[in-house]
Amino acid sequence: YFHDAGFHPKIKYRLNLSSLAPLGPDRCSREFAKPREVNAECQWVENDYEALQERLNTLPDKLSYDIMVPFGPLAFMPGKLVHTNEVTVLLGDNWFSRCSAKQAMGLVEHRKKHVRKALEDLQKVMKNFESRIEFTEDLQKMSDAAGDIVDIREEAENDGTETKGKRRTAHKPHSKPKVSDVFEVHFQENGMDTKFKGYSQSEEELWARLEELERREEMLGEFDRTPDTIEANGEDTTSSEEEKEDKTDLNVVHGVEDSATQDNVQKEVTNSELFSGQVNGRSHYHSDDEDDLGVDHFVPTIFFSHTVEPKRVRINTGKNTTLKFSEKKEEAKRKRKNNNGNGHLVPELPNIKTPADIYRVFVDVVNGEYVPRKSILKSRSRENSVCSDTSESSAAEFEDRRGVLRSISYDEATYSDNSEGILEEEEEEGQEHLPKKLSTLSGTFEAFSGTVIEKEPLSPLIPHPSIAHPVLPTIPERKSEEVLSEASEETTKRISKFKAARMQQTN
Amino acid sequence: MADLIQKKLQGELEKYQQLQKDLSKSMAARQKLEAQLTENNIVKEELGLLDATNTVYKLIGPVLVKQDMDEAKATVSKRLDYIAGEIRRYELQMQESEKKAEQQREVLARLQQEYQRAQGKGVAKA
Repeated sequence: YFHDAGFHPKIKYRLNLSSLAPLGPDRCSREFAKPREVNAECQWVENDYEALQERLNTLPDKLSYDIMVPFGPLAFMPGKLVHTNEVTVLLGDNWFSRCSAKQAMGLVEHRKKHVRKALEDLQKVMKNFESRIEFTEDLQKMSDAAGDIVDIREEAENDGTETKGKRRTAHKPHSKPKVSDVFEVHFQENGMDTKFKGYSQSEEELWARLEELERREEMLGEFDRTPDTIEANGEDTTSSEEEKEDKTDLNVVHGVEDSATQDNVQKEVTNSELFSGQVNGRSHYHSDDEDDLGVDHFVPTIFFSHTVEPKRVRINTGKNTTLKFSEKKEEAKRKRKNNNGNGHLVPELPNIKTPADIYRVFVDVVNGEYVPRKSILKSRSRENSVCSDTSESSAAEFEDRRGVLRSISYDEATYSDNSEGILEEEEEEGQEHLPKKLSTLSGTFEAFSGTVIEKEPLSPLIPHPSIAHPVLPTIPERKSEEVLSEASEETTKRISKFKAARMQQTN
Repeated sequence: MADLIQKKLQGELEKYQQLQKDLSKSMAARQKLEAQLTENNIVKEELGLLDATNTVYKLIGPVLVKQDMDEAKATVSKRLDYIAGEIRRYELQMQESEKKAEQQREVLARLQQEYQRAQGKGVAKA
């Protein structure tokens, strides 16, 4: 009369092993088999329990049953099943308990609950797997269907320009352009249809490529973000990833057949997958974002370029006043009239020969005092930041800014002391230096604009930008033209005393 | 020079493999413990479903030994705690092994680099 309600510990063990770790699609089918097996087993177990319940129900109906009792493996013997209500149940871990049939039923129900929960978990896993596979297949389909792919190409530009553009847009946190930049950069690498087409149908390679792209994207994402934020790259990428996920929803609706499960999947899926999945939806996505970025959209090839769009800036003159450009212009004109002896603007640029120079040059002016900037790439929105240049950047503007700053900010006396020695030194150097410096500086600043204007250096105005070093806060991101003119104006202004002195000397 | 590095590399590689084996062993043990944990949880719940009128037996070898209900409950609870403690121990062990494996990996990488450099030099010389 010993009835054993079996326990299936094995199932539980296997369930613990069923992993939800992301797997490459090549292993997807293999890994898929595992949970499928477990699923099948769970089903089997549940059926077992159901049968058991059935038996338990009917068992106490009669006081005793006439049965054929198995006698060893080969024989049966007629016998009687008695004490039909008494059941000894294995509770697990070598524990048994004697209980009535009804109590046993309760226990079986309880176990079934567990099994059902396991089954549900498995179902979720399977669903995820399925959606991932589907996703991969879709991706492949998309990659094959060349027409759908929008090839987005970004001409590799200098870091400065990119940075600058990014900085602007990044003033608003997680602004679309930022996202799209990363996006597009990714696709610049990814945008080679041929690569996809040339791919064999094996999922393995595809996944390898995706992972590689993801890595590259992360690297680029890192790169892109350094000037903007101090955040960890991971944070940024995740945040933008989330953003992208949001956008993916749109695109999913648009282009991809995937069901809403894709949203869930995306959480587990790598960046690259996300990106790739949005291929055919991109055009929708980017039509909004391409304002400042000068992209022609809705063409098979989207050329993406960063342009530094100069904007009007408010300039902090150091007295917590901000002048607008027009005012500055006037000031500049005034100053120029006063100071400029020869009417030329020497295109002097801050002479940056060592890294330390950079930090000397890019110095913030805070209320008349020089504060070393935390990052030379950071824009100083409130200070005399030319973080976004003005398109009409005439030399005057920058000079003015400079001039104003200079007049307010530094002590001319000290400056003169500092620079005197340098001046004399540089006088000796002669003019040959100028073009060299110009070129180096152009090299430095060329990144910021497409035009480099070299002006004839003036002999009397040998004083070099190096003079500017100790005190001058120069504005980093600028078109070289402006830089040059600015620098010249600096020197002009700054050395007004000296110039006069030297003029006397030369004369 | 290159040979020396190669031998070192071999040695380090073996150490690394050993560490990996330890890691996988701990992992397996931990998983077993987890299975036991769930099982004992179920037993505890089911004991809760029963009342005092049912007799509880424990299988010790071929013998079913009668146990007191409360005793049984206490024993199962204690076993649960024990298993949890064991799992924690194995976790720690795994973490340590992981760290050691990581270090070993670095060593290996360094050695590999040296080896390659030595190889390159050798090629250059020859």
